[in-house]
Amino acid sequence: MVHAEVKEAKSMKLYKDFRIIIFVIAMLIALISIHPTYSNGLSSRLQYGLDLEGGTWLQLKLEGVITEIDADPSQIIKKEFSDAFGDIEITDRSDTEITFKTPEPLEKETIEAIGYGSVYVRDNEVTLTINKEYVIQKYLSKHLNCEVVYLGNGAYEIRSAINESELSEMLSEVGGSIGTDMQGRPVWREGVTKETQEMTKEILSEKLNIWGLKEIPITPVGNNILLIDLAGIDLNTAQKIVATPGKFEIRIQETNNTTAHVVWGEHIIAVDIPKQQNGGAWGIGFTVDGTGANAIRDAAVEYGAVDDPADHELIMLLDEKEVYSAPIAPDLAEKLRELYDRKENVPSYGLVATTGTGDEGKTKAEQLQVHLRAGALPVKVSVIGSGQVPAALGAQFKEQTLIAGIFALLTVALVIFLRYRKKKILIPMVATSLSEVFMILGFAALIGWQLDLPGIAGIIAVIGTGIDHLVIITDEVLYEGRMPSTKVYLARIGKAFGIIFAAAATTIVAMSPLLAMGFGALKGFAITTIVGVLIGVLIARPAYGRVIKDLLE
Amino acid sequence: MNQVTNLVSRFDTYTRAHKPEQLVIPPLVALAIALVILGGMFVGTGAPMRLGFEFEGGTIVTLATSDSHDLLKDAFSDYPVIDVRDSGSRRMIRFGPMNDAEKRSLVEKVNSDYEYATPEIKQMDPVYGKSLQKQALKAILISFCLMAVIVFLIFRTFVPSVAVVLSAFSDIVIASAFIAITGIELSLGTVAALLMLIGYSVDSDILLTTRLLKRRGSLDDKVTKAMATGLTMTGTTLAAITAMYLVATYSYLVIPSLPQISIISDISIVLIFGLVADLMNTWLMNLGILKWYMQKSRRRRA
Repeated sequence: MVHAEVKEAKSMKLYKDFRIIIFVIAMLIALISIHPTYSNGLSSRLQYGLDLEGGTWLQLKLEGVITEIDADPSQIIKKEFSDAFGDIEITDRSDTEITFKTPEPLEKETIEAIGYGSVYVRDNEVTLTINKEYVIQKYLSKHLNCEVVYLGNGAYEIRSAINESELSEMLSEVGGSIGTDMQGRPVWREGVTKETQEMTKEILSEKLNIWGLKEIPITPVGNNILLIDLAGIDLNTAQKIVATPGKFEIRIQETNNTTAHVVWGEHIIAVDIPKQQNGGAWGIGFTVDGTGANAIRDAAVEYGAVDDPADHELIMLLDEKEVYSAPIAPDLAEKLRELYDRKENVPSYGLVATTGTGDEGKTKAEQLQVHLRAGALPVKVSVIGSGQVPAALGAQFKEQTLIAGIFALLTVALVIFLRYRKKKILIPMVATSLSEVFMILGFAALIGWQLDLPGIAGIIAVIGTGIDHLVIITDEVLYEGRMPSTKVYLARIGKAFGIIFAAAATTIVAMSPLLAMGFGALKGFAITTIVGVLIGVLIARPAYGRVIKDLLE
Repeated sequence: MNQVTNLVSRFDTYTRAHKPEQLVIPPLVALAIALVILGGMFVGTGAPMRLGFEFEGGTIVTLATSDSHDLLKDAFSDYPVIDVRDSGSRRMIRFGPMNDAEKRSLVEKVNSDYEYATPEIKQMDPVYGKSLQKQALKAILISFCLMAVIVFLIFRTFVPSVAVVLSAFSDIVIASAFIAITGIELSLGTVAALLMLIGYSVDSDILLTTRLLKRRGSLDDKVTKAMATGLTMTGTTLAAITAMYLVATYSYLVIPSLPQISIISDISIVLIFGLVADLMNTWLMNLGILKWYMQKSRRRRA
């Protein structure tokens, strides 16, 4: 019985074994993804990180807080309007309206300019239509000098650096407080929403685009960090691009090839998100202040755009590059003419720039949104880490890590030779180790992941630890000093892999915190180590176990 | 080769000649000394190791220049220079905290005045560095706990699992103490290396424990064979890491233009310390505890 089994196993050809087949397929996939070619030196599809390619990295922190807030709108209104017009007296209040008396009778516009909504005025009695969340949002935004966004369920995103006690103090003045959770702890999380983080990322990459830097990788980490890698740029240029807002300008077409200045971007006071308009076309709503509204009104009439919109388009420029141009819509032309005729000054004016229908229109609308903000970021951003590696230094690092890798492999080979003194063991071991490195590189090329210095350190460490597992397999199989019968061999291989899998599992779990945490630089090290261990135990080492059986028999 | 075999057999003879309790003593003494060193550092400086720039914050500029240290200090006298050191054939200048405007003007100065010197610049915000410290500590604790859980799942017996976890703990502590006394600064690279050590240092312990518990034969014989395998394992890893360390750190002695690669140098030196500590902890401490455990349970069975 035993005899028959042995015979069957022996007749099994090496190339038919599934372990060998998987190994060969994996090596082929690696070869195809690395795609080495030779023309004026060796090149491949491998991508390298900044520390090897040269360039600049920036770590940006998006300053913001997400917190729950409750406050009394009538106290906010009392405080705000008393500060502006002298002590006011609240005579009536409901969830949607607050009525108060001002010491002096005031114009509707003067009251609305405070910015808490539209009012109805009779002499010195004012009725203000309110929305609690809006009032709180407005109050915070005004006093913290930053954007505040209501997220629903009493939660607000404050897009600026502020600490808990500062905010508590501000809220206590208007009978408000920071909300608490079920355990009575304040709801307070430093960071911004995923959407805000994503929007900041979009705006940054659009800005970089304007500077001619395409496809710059920006990686969000955690809930408030963005990592930017800028190949081929030095640190001063990078800081300039990220920190300086662009110059936005609206001009109007005078004749066929001349244009006239209308208004600067600083008069744009609000920019909406892309929305589909009534006709189905995408568009961006934006609001200009009084000065801006007057400038647009006068320009549109004086240059004849209200009569002949097609020949007198409005043109928008960011850093002197045209980003949008379109004729004034007929209904807008009408309204502008009316305003002009009445010489009426408005406190602000809402406009919509349409960008066309479908996905194309939507994409254009998204870009225009960024341009209208003049590349200004939605949140306050601080550079918490930065650095530059010149390309020449990166090239030296690359060369040196290659030397380190080869040197490491050679010394490992020497130790193996000293221990076993057999070419039949030495060659397959070193070959397996090389194949593991090759497969890790193939995996990196396949997922388009950039090799950096810590990553390469990880690969070299995997050479060292991978050989260990081959030693375990070899020693387990040759426990009595020679190749045992197939049945014993199979049992031994099983035991060896028991140890190997256990060892691999501890390495993987020990490295895993690095994957989840926000250390940008160490992710490469964690990924190579984990991927290397997995490739080793699942592909390369089983194949080795099979090959030495044939070689040592 | 003979020397290698000699060393292994001497080690082997030593473990045979001593009682388990005696085997455990040297590693426990080493662990105690290491803990005292780390504790002393902690009391003295507020941190068990010297913190590098990533955790402290600040700015580092390295230049391939032959300008003397004093000349560089003078050139940057408008900025808070902490010190100038040699990093291989390059000069490394460390700066204390600066405001944004100062940082920007420094970067501009470096890139215009020292363009020839392939300037490398690194900046880190001190406040963020503080939060990185916390994260690093958390990463090490989580990593260690996960490793311990896996070890318990593998062996499912108390004493052998504790022996493995204790030996890994001692590896980390002794490696950290080495970092502390040699004045190496704790960087992201050293943290990565400590995590790697947590995962890797138990490899030889797992081999030893499996061989001793799950295989028949005389105890001493099993120990000898496990030792041959285990020492080869640690030997190959040490060989690879030492090669990496030497190339990353001392290449400039052969080819003067080659820079030091500090992150690789940091990772490898910590791994070397850890692996050396692991030799002692696996083959004295872990082996000692296992032998004691096996002899005790045999006696109980008998």
